[in-house]
This record gives sequence, C-alpha cells and structure tokens, in this order.
Amino acid sequence: MAVINVTNGTQAILTIGNSEALAVPGVTNGMVVPFVQDITVNATPGTVRYSTLDSTSSSAFTTVNENSVSLNLLVDETVMFGDSANTTNTVALNGLFATSTSKTEVFFSVAITGTGTTGDIYIAGKGFIGGLAPTASIDGAVWLSPCEIIVNGELTKTVES
Amino acid sequence: MSKRSDLITQISTNLAFTSNVTVNTTELPFESGGNPLYLNNMNTVYVDEQKIEEDELYKTLDQGTVTETTTTINAYLSTDAKESFSDIETVVANLLLASNAITGTVNTTSDYETAITDDVITYTFEYNFITV
Repeated sequence: MAVINVTNGTQAILTIGNSEALAVPGVTNGMVVPFVQDITVNATPGTVRYSTLDSTSSSAFTTVNENSVSLNLLVDETVMFGDSANTTNTVALNGLFATSTSKTEVFFSVAITGTGTTGDIYIAGKGFIGGLAPTASIDGAVWLSPCEIIVNGELTKTVES
Repeated sequence: MSKRSDLITQISTNLAFTSNVTVNTTELPFESGGNPLYLNNMNTVYVDEQKIEEDELYKTLDQGTVTETTTTINAYLSTDAKESFSDIETVVANLLLASNAITGTVNTTSDYETAITDDVITYTFEYNFITV
C-alpha cells in the first residue's frame, strides 16, 4: 500500500482529444490541460431510497452511474482558445471554450500515477466540456476558471503495459 | 527601468514646484562620517535601494507557479524640526503620491513615519509595489 504523491508535477494530468487514441496520457497531439490547481474525478452511482413499514431504516437500490470530472485551472490562452498548430486534435485546435459552446463530445484521460511507465494508471472516458466560468480580478491577477467534463457513459481504469 | 529609478523620476517631477527640497537622483543614503547622507544633507530626498520579495500566488499540479513580487523602497528626508519650511505638508503629500504614477502594478501602497532627534526631524517613506 502506498499513497499516490502528486507533488512532482507528473501525476494528475488531464489529457483531452477528439478520439480515444488522442486522449491517452502522453500521446503525441493529445491536449494536456496545463495549470490545473485541483482535479476531482466523480464516480457516483445513482441511488433511490425507499422506506418500508417493517423497517426503521430506509433502504436503497442503485440506478445508473453519474460520472464527471471537475477541476479548477488558471486560464492558458492556447488551451482555452485554440492551438492553430495542432490540426490533428480538433479539441486542441478549437480550444476548450469553443469545444464547450459547440457541445462537441470529447475523449479524456486523467493520469493518476503518471505516464510512460509500465503500471501507470489512468482513468478514461468521454463526455462534454461544461462549467467554464473564467473570472478575473485585480487581486487574482490572472484568469481563473472552473471546468467540468460531464461524462457520457462509464469511466474506465487502464493500466499501462 | 527599475521601480527605484521610476520612483526617483516621479519624485523629482512631483517636487519640481518647490525650491525647499531637492532630490538626490544618484546616491544611496549611505553613512558618511557616522551619519546617513540625509542627515548630512538636510532638505534632500534620498531613495534607498529597492528590496524584492517573491511569494507564490498560485501553484498548480504541473508545477506551474504564478509569483507575486513585492518591491519595497524607502526614501528619506530630514529637515529642521525647529522651523519647518512653509510647504512641508505639500512636499510630504507629493512624496506619497509619487507611488501612484508607477505602472504595471497590482497594488501600490505608500506611507511614512517621522522621528525627531535633537533638532532634526526625519521623514521615512515606505513604498510597496506589488506585481504578478
């Protein structure tokens, strides 16, 4: 057992692409979202609670999973508004903002333990970018924004081999 | 241009209205004969070397950092405590206002304190310029 240390800058990396192959951590032309302050992978099963006359406690059954990835970031101009040099990955080409407003489905991965080494783990899925709310203030000095990927379907865990 | 040189330029501009005070644009307030220059040369503004402090404003998971830099500069003016010249209040106000002209800052503050030794009053100004 060991905790996963994320302080050396190579873990907790969000990569986004317009195809599954372009969203693999470390892949060429995958769009790595920089300047992420915090990231949360929400894997939440839906539940319904019900009560019966013969029990003093409520019961529950599960429904579908509702998954999402949420993060806060410092706005990087290229990632937010597009990188004209990356024509292979349309998410990188158009940027997070345009991809969100066009409601384009994206593929993503969140590297948990880093990339490029056998045994590295990442969580992948597909979904829609939302929750962008760039905020600027004189005290904050830079643009900050939350971001969310509303996952369409299931999250999968992959171990690099 | 450093913040210090910008500040000296602005102080010179702000004090151009008076003949009671001059600005030493070249020398630091070093000690000469046991006293700092602003005591040896009264009614002259001396601007000390700037001090820079850097703090981390944001830290990100990919080890990107946004740094907040605070530049602190002290200026000194000594004058006769027995008989201040007539526009000393205007001089002090203009010395404080000099910080406002420095551009490219997130926040700017200026204040001063006084100390009287024998018949000399010394105004010590502190300017803080915060940039990101």
